Amino acid sequence: MPNPISQRDSFWNKIYEIAKNDRRVVIVSADMGAPSLDRFRRDLPGQFINVGIAEQNGILVASGLAREGKRPFFYAIAPFAVFRPIELTRVNNAIMKIPITIVGVGAGFSYEDSGPTHHLLEDIAVVRAFPNITVHSTSDATLAAAVAEQSCQWPTANYVRLDRQVLPDVHVGQTVDFKAGFAVLRSGKQAQLVATGYMVHKALKVADLLKADGIDLGVIDLFQLPCDGDALVKQIQAAPKLFTLEEHFLPGGLGSAILEMLADRGAALPVHRFGMGNPGTYSYVYGGREAIHASYGLSPEQIAADVRKALK
Amino acid sequence: MNDIAFLEKKAYDLRKKVLDTCIRAKTGHVTSSMSCAEIMSVLFHGGILRYDPKRPDWPDRDRFILSKGQASPMLYAVLADAGYFDEAQLKAFAQKDGKFGVHLQQSVPGAEITCGSLGQGFGFAAGMALAAKMDLKNHMVYTLLGDGENQEGSIWETAMFASHNRLNNLVAILDRNYQCVLDFTENFLSLEPVDKKWEAFGWNVIRVEGQSVSELLNALHGLRSRRRPNPSIVIADTTKGAGIDFMSCVPLWHGAAPAGADAKQAVAELERNSPHA
Repeated sequence: MPNPISQRDSFWNKIYEIAKNDRRVVIVSADMGAPSLDRFRRDLPGQFINVGIAEQNGILVASGLAREGKRPFFYAIAPFAVFRPIELTRVNNAIMKIPITIVGVGAGFSYEDSGPTHHLLEDIAVVRAFPNITVHSTSDATLAAAVAEQSCQWPTANYVRLDRQVLPDVHVGQTVDFKAGFAVLRSGKQAQLVATGYMVHKALKVADLLKADGIDLGVIDLFQLPCDGDALVKQIQAAPKLFTLEEHFLPGGLGSAILEMLADRGAALPVHRFGMGNPGTYSYVYGGREAIHASYGLSPEQIAADVRKALK
Repeated sequence: MNDIAFLEKKAYDLRKKVLDTCIRAKTGHVTSSMSCAEIMSVLFHGGILRYDPKRPDWPDRDRFILSKGQASPMLYAVLADAGYFDEAQLKAFAQKDGKFGVHLQQSVPGAEITCGSLGQGFGFAAGMALAAKMDLKNHMVYTLLGDGENQEGSIWETAMFASHNRLNNLVAILDRNYQCVLDFTENFLSLEPVDKKWEAFGWNVIRVEGQSVSELLNALHGLRSRRRPNPSIVIADTTKGAGIDFMSCVPLWHGAAPAGADAKQAVAELERNSPHA
């Protein structure tokens, strides 16, 4: 297996390959770069626009470009890409249905030592409330590259939340199913754990820990919202109990979305949601992402213990 | 009839249509529309904008973006007058089965965007102007801003962006009617010297009397030749409610349509202020 690269570099490498042959593809950056973008800026300077630290104008310019037939990618640190211009995104991309791709780096606690201004714990709840914007939450570089390719032809606006950390590749060699919007990484009979982004890797760790106890836990990577709710609910119902795991506040997030899908289809089964509390608290804990998670009771061992207890 | 008289008459006709529309609908931003009647008359009937009402999506059309979306009754009136859609649709403004409401919506032929939230159309217009530059297209992008809208931070983000990127195919017109909802701008968040501010942001600034079609014509006429590298803004000093004296320069008439005796008075005053009265 090749050395994994960051989701960001994987995403932009793919966009570079597409943009070389498609001048409609343009990057609108809020003064945000990446090693993978240095090549883009050098070779395709006419397709890279630095709007500066001005996210509102970034969304507006990207939307105006899209209206004229371009395929713009608005790029910034995720909380700023999403929240600063949110009402402009609402008008231009949700209401007016203008298809741009908003690329945010820094899902969850990716910027682990930067404090709560850079942590991202509300974006799924906020963005999935809007019609006409799809959320893509990527767990590895393979998925990020696949999302990049899809973004160039996605019919509506698209928000891509990339993790900053280099994570192992769990989708390598798989075909990503964007119709479904989720991937079954491990099947399990006793219970299933649905996660997104960084937490997919933690879910796999939890499943490994429980395997030692003879507990068979399935793991699903839900990487797109909205997804195929019928297919997901069917998959969830293959086991009698469900756990959800997200690096996000619980109200409105991934687990909340799944509860809605279940309730809307009259599918009753016990669900336990793991996340950053309800109500949540912002974190000033330092010492790495896992230290932050532990402060919320979300180390793999703590989660495994809670699952064990719930399955008794 | 010479050009000036024709454009003055058009401005009056547009006012009349807006007033009738809003009185009938019992809603709509009358005073915000009145201040920009001459601007719209000159843009659409004075040979400034290149457009084809039969082809609202004609790729080489000039773009017109109404960033002060509350003046939608005025844009709808001028679009109907220009032949984009049947004028009878104005009668259903903001009513059951109507095709459009109080704020601007993109589904109306010629409207280009949905707008009602300020500080947005301008940046969108800058994106369109940048796309035209990228594609080596010659059309222009015109956008009409409100002065209260200049209190939005996003306006100044775009102002910096447009001058830095030398978008001389972008022309903003500022409807400087000096009023927002509660009060005059200079009483609560002053904009002056607004021309100096735009100059400092790198724009080519032309300040005119905005109820004068001849001054507007002079200001807007030569901009297509792009003799300067920077974008241009025409600051048009206007009167909020112009044409209807008792509604002019009176705070709190924003967003309201006159009713009852007020409606009669408004119609009479507009008639009296007709250039041909």
